[in-house]
Amino acid sequence: NMENLQQTSRNLLVCDQSSLRHRKCRLSQQVQQHHFNHQVSLLLPECGSAPPPLDAALRSFSSSYLLRKLPLHELLDTHFLQDAVYQGSVYGLSYRSRIDEDTCVALLPSGQLVLSLDKDVYERLGVEGKPSRFNQRANSRYVVTVNLTDSSMAPGGRGYQRLLTGLKSRVQLQTDFLLSHHPGGGEALKALLSRYDWTEHRPQVSSRLLTNLPCPTPLTSDLPSCDPHSFLEWLGAVEAEVSCDNESTSFLSTLVCPEPRAVLSRALRVRVSGLLLPQDVYRLIEELRRCWDGRGTASWAALTVQGFADSPVSWGSREHGFLKGGENFYSLLLCSDHSYWLCMGTGAHDGCPP
Amino acid sequence: MVRQKSRYLLCELNVSDRSRLLLLDDRAVREAVRATVARIHGDYGAALCSLRFSVKYLNAHTGIVFLRCPKNCYRLIWSALPFITSVENQGQKVPCFLNCLHVGGTIRTCQKFLIRYNTQQLHRMLPQCKSEEEKLQVRKAILNCSLIKRNEGGFEDEAESGEDDEE
Amino acid sequence: MRAVGGEQEPAAFERTVLRNASPYHYLKVYLQLESATTRLCAVELKQLIVSGLSSLFGEVGAALPFDLLKYDEEALTGILRVHSRGLVKLWSSLTLLGSYQNEACAFRVLQVSPFLLALSGNSRDL
Repeated sequence: NMENLQQTSRNLLVCDQSSLRHRKCRLSQQVQQHHFNHQVSLLLPECGSAPPPLDAALRSFSSSYLLRKLPLHELLDTHFLQDAVYQGSVYGLSYRSRIDEDTCVALLPSGQLVLSLDKDVYERLGVEGKPSRFNQRANSRYVVTVNLTDSSMAPGGRGYQRLLTGLKSRVQLQTDFLLSHHPGGGEALKALLSRYDWTEHRPQVSSRLLTNLPCPTPLTSDLPSCDPHSFLEWLGAVEAEVSCDNESTSFLSTLVCPEPRAVLSRALRVRVSGLLLPQDVYRLIEELRRCWDGRGTASWAALTVQGFADSPVSWGSREHGFLKGGENFYSLLLCSDHSYWLCMGTGAHDGCPP
Repeated sequence: MVRQKSRYLLCELNVSDRSRLLLLDDRAVREAVRATVARIHGDYGAALCSLRFSVKYLNAHTGIVFLRCPKNCYRLIWSALPFITSVENQGQKVPCFLNCLHVGGTIRTCQKFLIRYNTQQLHRMLPQCKSEEEKLQVRKAILNCSLIKRNEGGFEDEAESGEDDEE
Repeated sequence: MRAVGGEQEPAAFERTVLRNASPYHYLKVYLQLESATTRLCAVELKQLIVSGLSSLFGEVGAALPFDLLKYDEEALTGILRVHSRGLVKLWSSLTLLGSYQNEACAFRVLQVSPFLLALSGNSRDL
């Protein structure tokens, strides 16, 4: 049918416009709730190299540890719970497992363990969970959420025993696992790391100087000159290094920078990738703010943070799925007068961002 | 059993030379429509219109054509009709175009529309008669049309066949 | 499409929710060819996709506007932009496209998103 051919799956874009000085500013929570980030990209206009404090912040993202073939019951290990989970925040995510076909596991800093399982594994595991929000008709995927800091999940407790025997004897789930700890770093994870094959992953930093970049103006957050979708398209074109230099009659591409526009003689794009902690992202935002307080030169900066497509959660403990792209990201346009514009985008299988 | 709903397109075949209309048959019209849908809408359109598509009725004297197609894809066929410029039969190419007069859910509604349409056309054309004699001739020709003759046309048979109940 | 605006303090805090409002969809595609030596330039690639559209959706399909935003001739990967209404048509014709100049080929759709930003990094090949 012709009408069906024109439909696409759901997508959501939430834009907040506010100021860092505003008393209801929730930027900190919004950033902290987006747990699993794999790429942070910062665009600084009219800038040849990042100011030293900013550069330091970009280079000091915490490392993560990749454990090969970790049996999941190790996450319930008494020492691990005491050294890492009760003492701060652990970020853990299964690595290279796909949420639309495999088992995916996430350990949130709040102590919640989220398992996204297919029906067979769920039924063998024997721990209570909920059917996934996103394929209710087929009920082929289930989400099990347990809070490891709960009293019933304390070692020896009933829930703890049930999950432990489930993971030890009923289903021997094994997965490559990315782990990171705040603020302890590798120290807190030492006991666990010593037992398995692991590698340390330092976040990769790459920067690129862009010249003669067309840019929509004026980029001030109180009055964006273009609508959010065309702004994000422009930012995406900068990130993906797509040329906006086209005519409406071009055969290959008709993408143009939104009007009115200006040309930036140069701009710096710095990109960090790895398992990046929200604390480090927020530290970067604070550092940006401080830079402006000191000099008050640069007019704006754009920060894009991309979440893992295969994470079982996006913001907070909101369920996340893949469907077509699994995108969950936010872009922050921060101006030197502390006003900002935050765009949070999600794909079809995702709740509404906070 | 669920009744499969259809759409009937009532079209008028326009040719410059009316005598050439007699060269056409329903198979030729079907092939022409099918080929055009395939050209305009590709494999997707051709596949959709290969199911339950047929030329229900063709009057070679008046050039009236009834096309039947499934309800969900009539737009594909409808939009392809203007691109038909000729119909080929037995090696002879008849330049023509199809003018879609009405889209209906049953043959009966199409027939009602056709009768009303023809009456309208008659009223429009009668004042154009040059002399009283011509007018009389037309009137005589109309009165000569008896019910027996109309039954031969196959029009009524179609309207009474099982698949075109009121929707 | 729906926009909800909640204002607590005038011009200081504003939230807009845009649902299904993305005008375009973006696809990252990779063209797999039978022989490793065949080379295509950007214009040929776009022409190939148009021919695929035209065989599946005819002349109407061939008129579907889409953009080849970026193309890497060495890696045979590119980014396409299409109006959201045309996504299904473009994607299905890419899937069914099977040959380039009598040589078997296949398009692999690597990533699809309503946001171009999402294509700048893929956590699946981290």
